[in-house]
Amino acid sequence: MKNLMKTGVALLLLGTALAPAAWAQDAINVTNLSYRTGPFAATGIPLMNGQRDYMMMLNERDGGVNGVKLNYDECETGYNTEKGAECYEKTKATSIVTQPWSTGITLQVLPKSNVDKIPILAPGYGFSPMTDGKIFQWAFNPPASYWDGASMILKAISDGNLDSLKGKKIALLHLDAPYGKEPIPLLQAYAEKHGFTLLPIPVGLKEMQNQSAQWLQIRRERPDFVLMWGWGAMNAGAVTEAVKTKFPMEKFVGIWWSGHDGDMKSAGEAAKGYRSISWSLPDSNAPVMQDIKKHVVDTGKSLIGEGEFDWVFYQRGVLISMFAVEGIKAAQAHFDTKVVNAEQLRWGLENLKIDEAKLAEIGMTGMIGTFSTACNNHAGHAGGWMMEWDGAKFVKVSDHLEADQDMIAPLVEAEAKKYADANAPWPINEECK
Amino acid sequence: MLYRTAGQFKTSYHADHALFPVRQDAILLGFILLLAFVVFPLTASEFTFRAMLIPVLIYALAALGLNILTGYAGQLSLGTGAFMGVGAYACYKLTSIFPELNIVLAIALSGFFSAAVGVAFGLPSLRIKGFYLAIATLAAQFFLVWLFEKWAWLYNYSASGAIQVPNIDMFGVTVAGPNATAIVQYYFVLCVVCLVTWFAINITRGRIGRIWKSVRDMDIAAELVGINLMKAKLSAFAVSSYIVGISGALFVFLWRGAAEPVLFDIPLSFRVLFIAIIGGLGSILGNYLGAILIVALPVVISALPSALGIPIASATVEHLNTMIVGALIIVFLIVEPHGLARFWAIIREKLIMWPFPH
Amino acid sequence: MDFLNSILVKPFADMFGAPDFLLQVLWEGLVSGVLYALIALGFVLIYKSSRIFNFAQGIMVVFAALTLVGLHEKGVPALLAVPLTLLVMFILAVAIERVVLRPLVNQPDIILFMATIGITLFLVGFGEIIFGGENKVMITQELHIPTGSFEFEPFGGFVSIEQKDLTAVVGAIVLVAGLLLFLNKSKMGRAIRALGDDHQAALSVGISLSTIWVLVWFIAGVIALATGIVWGARAGVSFALEVIAFKALPVLMLGGLESVLGAIIGGLAIGVLEKLFEIYWGQPLLGGNTETWFAFVFALLVLLFRPQGLFGEKIIERV
Repeated sequence: MKNLMKTGVALLLLGTALAPAAWAQDAINVTNLSYRTGPFAATGIPLMNGQRDYMMMLNERDGGVNGVKLNYDECETGYNTEKGAECYEKTKATSIVTQPWSTGITLQVLPKSNVDKIPILAPGYGFSPMTDGKIFQWAFNPPASYWDGASMILKAISDGNLDSLKGKKIALLHLDAPYGKEPIPLLQAYAEKHGFTLLPIPVGLKEMQNQSAQWLQIRRERPDFVLMWGWGAMNAGAVTEAVKTKFPMEKFVGIWWSGHDGDMKSAGEAAKGYRSISWSLPDSNAPVMQDIKKHVVDTGKSLIGEGEFDWVFYQRGVLISMFAVEGIKAAQAHFDTKVVNAEQLRWGLENLKIDEAKLAEIGMTGMIGTFSTACNNHAGHAGGWMMEWDGAKFVKVSDHLEADQDMIAPLVEAEAKKYADANAPWPINEECK
Repeated sequence: MLYRTAGQFKTSYHADHALFPVRQDAILLGFILLLAFVVFPLTASEFTFRAMLIPVLIYALAALGLNILTGYAGQLSLGTGAFMGVGAYACYKLTSIFPELNIVLAIALSGFFSAAVGVAFGLPSLRIKGFYLAIATLAAQFFLVWLFEKWAWLYNYSASGAIQVPNIDMFGVTVAGPNATAIVQYYFVLCVVCLVTWFAINITRGRIGRIWKSVRDMDIAAELVGINLMKAKLSAFAVSSYIVGISGALFVFLWRGAAEPVLFDIPLSFRVLFIAIIGGLGSILGNYLGAILIVALPVVISALPSALGIPIASATVEHLNTMIVGALIIVFLIVEPHGLARFWAIIREKLIMWPFPH
Repeated sequence: MDFLNSILVKPFADMFGAPDFLLQVLWEGLVSGVLYALIALGFVLIYKSSRIFNFAQGIMVVFAALTLVGLHEKGVPALLAVPLTLLVMFILAVAIERVVLRPLVNQPDIILFMATIGITLFLVGFGEIIFGGENKVMITQELHIPTGSFEFEPFGGFVSIEQKDLTAVVGAIVLVAGLLLFLNKSKMGRAIRALGDDHQAALSVGISLSTIWVLVWFIAGVIALATGIVWGARAGVSFALEVIAFKALPVLMLGGLESVLGAIIGGLAIGVLEKLFEIYWGQPLLGGNTETWFAFVFALLVLLFRPQGLFGEKIIERV
């Protein structure tokens, strides 16, 4: 028993000593719950690199945001919910924003955000009803939610006329995890309205790399389209199987997280024609990317590998950091302060205005659609484009698409209310000024 | 010196069988309880509560449950994570069907569900032994986790397939859910853990415990002296799964606040098994020592570089962490295969003898 | 009645309604079965000779495949990278024997089992530091593995057989035949079997425990590399591959922990049966994804009738 005590005391002392030390006041801490390890590392790494490099570039080029350095830090979760919760506890005292990076971790920290008063920034992921800022006051998922993605994909495959899907069969190949199940409620609502059949095909975490059973099912059911909500090793596995099954690539469409250059590389030429919706467009010649190249990549400070600079995911990581930075800028201007805190950042994220002028100013013209967030709209609904794999890279193949908010809004409201009821007492910002 | 037993005489069998035949043990325990109940709560930060103290207690409880099955009754199980899941989902359903139910009662009841499931999956142990049984428990592990995914009723048909713990009050204090404070949850867990530990110590010392040990040491011999193997093995599965189920309910309700099925997958089972084995099979104390090592140490390691100001990427730290934990497991197994509990026993012996070598 | 119909009649009607599809399902099952059998073979060899339940076999597959691809990325020609990888696996075998196994001789089974889990964790961390966590593409073409596919049109449908799967099957058969020949004919092979039969008797006739252990772990490494190449060619190389180790466990239960033949037959049987169950029962009736547990439950049911597996050594207990 004595050992227990000794170790206990030692650990405790260490623990208290390690409890986040106070940081210098002239910097803003932005912590990212990254995952550069584990089965999803392949998709995580370029995103994390993009996020990191944008912040580094701002520090190098401008000395931070309005003179305040950005302290970009990572806490490694390995996409593991338990590690994620631990990281959240560890960073909540210092970081002004939580970037949970997995729907599972988002669901864990979501209820705590109200209590701890730290905004959650989950760009393009997380829980779709988070769009409803009245209920999810502290959670943000700009520029589009998964439901936006699902709606845009349906528009794209039906050429804008959803009724043409009547009688068709659409399979949803999804990761059997909260993330993969996200689009199901909306797609079901669409299926009822427009008379197509939805066939969800789950892929377990252990089957990600061996999806032959799922693709045999697809072969048997002969769906007219296959939508994919895949992640990590699952994407590459699915594309390989699709090639094998001779499923026509032009009828195979993925969400934005399934449009990763690294995943497609293994299938290469054979996967030509595969499409993925994306709210970001890579543009290596955009001023911001050139600045990153000059200040970060060429000086050897970046962690990126060969060719990664041009990847969709790397440049999307840059955009994701941009949301946080713009939120900080907005808060700085509104509260007339340099070092913003978590509550001020919440205001900033709620008042993001990403218009053409803004994009030109930060050198990102054309890389993302314009949008603005508001109190009751935490997603902004920027819309997106279809990207097609041409055998070597993703290219834009559609005009700008917008999600059908008439269809999504009632569902957001209902689901958000359900969440609030299940977690009563849940604070609701009724007035939404 | 500190542990001098001279002058402590036993004058009756009863005294010789006491929980603490040596007075210093009792004093030490009192000291630790004082530490746990008074000193830690006064000094620990919220991070220490949430990332170290509470998980250490909960994991120790799960390991205690496993230890009863594996360490005392000799039945190797790799399905602990799934049984924790049964406890957690049972507790979730109980609290959502009967919102008025006291949380303590809900947790206590949820243990019975996992005990029942444990007994059902324990039935093969009557025919299958050793590693075959270990793999057979994996059937429970994979099947149950799959069930948590597919049986929508379990998670109240929520779209994400995850369960969320609502705010639950007990006597006017919020003990579970987002509004609960860490210190309240710590006390709650500590009380449950103390209670179960007290129960476990006594059951393993008593008649049932001895039956289990005889089955562990040689089941055929045990059968020959008139022990009902079926009763013995199944009771071990039941008691073990009950404790594991309670720890699962605590795991989600008092610590994590939300859970998705994959949380209860095989890594959790292995983690609990590590704790039980590193701590020492067939010991109660070992579970706590093991939990401190396996749960708290990685947290400390991953915080070290930034605390010391070493510039190293957090991913690398995580990789190193995995390596170090793996290496530590091997080192501990080589140095003391019987676990940390035996380590302590040796130290205690030495202290009693001190300053004489023999 | 409907229920019985959907369990007992409809699946079979489906099978015979679309025989080409059934053939494809069987082929897919067979290919996974070959892979399961290969991993199980690694387990069996080590268990047979040292009574160690080697959980690290899964990570050894990943490690071998990553080393191969990693070496190639560094500019080593593919055909040279293979022997170099084998060298790495040999060093790994020596290291494991020296550092982990030797001090743990004579410990209870469960301790050795835990030690192999320790090795697994260590290799995961080590591998990620060296190779990074990104997905890698197996160097299929560089190794001269054909990548096209054969197509047949039986019963008016179509069945496609990937050439690399076919290569995998042929390769596995060659590997297993070679292994059996080695175990049965060569001096070393017989020593391995002798050690499996009786440790002390083997030691007393002068068989070196440590040499054999290194050898066995090295052979397990060779099998791991073969598995890694084959599986990597199907789905890319990443740490997510590690989970396939679990798939070998029910194979071991079914085939028996000591039987090479059992591992092969068990692997094929489980590969085919789980695919059939998933396609004809799991997906229509249970919401899919039954492959995660079917093999375990099936093996468990078999074990209830034969507690030592189909081909395992009969357990004789004495008091």
